[in-house]
Amino acid sequence: MPALDSSAALTQEVQIDLFQGPFDLLLTLLLRDEVDMLELPLADLIEESVTPGSDERWEIDAASQLILLLAAIADLKGRRMLGEDVEDEPDLDALAMREALVARLVAYAPFQRAAQWLAERLRAAQGPRYRRVPPGTAVPVPVRDDPARLRAAMEKMVEASPAPSLEHMGVRRRPLPELLGRLRESLARLREVSFDQMVSDCDRLEEALTLLAALEMVRRGEAELRQDVPFGDILIRGTRA
Amino acid sequence: MTALARTIEALLFIAPEPLEVATLQDITEESPAMIARALDEIAARHAADTGLELAEVAGGWALRTRADLAPACDRLRARPREDRLSPAALETLAVVAYLEPVTRREVGRLRGVDVDSTVGSLLDRGLIEEAERPQSGPVTYRTTTLFLERFGLARRGDLPTLERFELTGPEAQALRARLQQADLIAEAETGDG
Repeated sequence: MPALDSSAALTQEVQIDLFQGPFDLLLTLLLRDEVDMLELPLADLIEESVTPGSDERWEIDAASQLILLLAAIADLKGRRMLGEDVEDEPDLDALAMREALVARLVAYAPFQRAAQWLAERLRAAQGPRYRRVPPGTAVPVPVRDDPARLRAAMEKMVEASPAPSLEHMGVRRRPLPELLGRLRESLARLREVSFDQMVSDCDRLEEALTLLAALEMVRRGEAELRQDVPFGDILIRGTRA
Repeated sequence: MTALARTIEALLFIAPEPLEVATLQDITEESPAMIARALDEIAARHAADTGLELAEVAGGWALRTRADLAPACDRLRARPREDRLSPAALETLAVVAYLEPVTRREVGRLRGVDVDSTVGSLLDRGLIEEAERPQSGPVTYRTTTLFLERFGLARRGDLPTLERFELTGPEAQALRARLQQADLIAEAETGDG
């Protein structure tokens, strides 16, 4: 939304041999052919326009507008020199769009001015300070309560909880080396032992460990395994005997 | 000082925010006319050479410090650095202040640009808030008590009429002429033969 007063570039004074006055007047005269485009010393105009006077700062809106205008003038002059006709009949669509834009800007202008009024209001109202309660001011904690009740409440919080019991975790398990020893012992006495017999007094984990022990013996070449039917009993035969 | 004026002065002294006349009425059980007279009395008592002033602001009455004492007050209480509102934020605020309660869409349509981030920053700053949610339909926004305080407005809608800010005939005409000029330039620019 172009601000209504961002026309600083347009009102800037220019001083060239051909013309002295505000930029927008020059532009109007050029567009109406009242100043001959071919006579226009473009370089002078540009130098005159974009050389910042004293130490004033460039405002980005004004500067970009100015540069756009200068580019447009350069373009126009270029066309004119090449003998092109720049006069077009007005485009109806463009006219309608422009009217719509004008209507919108006119409708919006009061709010822009109201914003300026608000800005002045804000500056004027900056001084006074108001009482403020810091956010989250809590109700004070009562301190004169019965100490015994406080103590009872505190004790509940600091009481150590009972150490967790592991009794329900079941029987102690025999470790792998022990199971391995037991298997070797059996094989020393018998030529062949049944896996099912070996694990008859074991739980599932020990059963698995016994199988591991048997496999370990196979790996070391101490035993061979044989299973006649899938999922059937496994016969463990010692190879030393 | 009358007893009522003393009472109201005390209430204003301890109140964390501006007190509405209705609240003063509830507490003191006095008529609005009596309360108005008491407020006059308090205002007169806090003349220009005292540290406090009585102000009608944000829909109520407040005892506040005088503007020239701001530096000392701010040394006691760190005041957040005055964040400057951008022109876009001020214009959006103006639209909300005049049209409240107003939807984001309506604001955007008037402004002609997307206003989501501007509305968001105004919400963050506490200058606008969601108005009461309608049963159905989009959220609407309105200005806050903080907005009224910051801008020194006595109450919601304490603004000059919008008509006052409308463009006059010649101004609108000038605007049209300027756009025409811009169009001619744009045509010359894009009309590559």
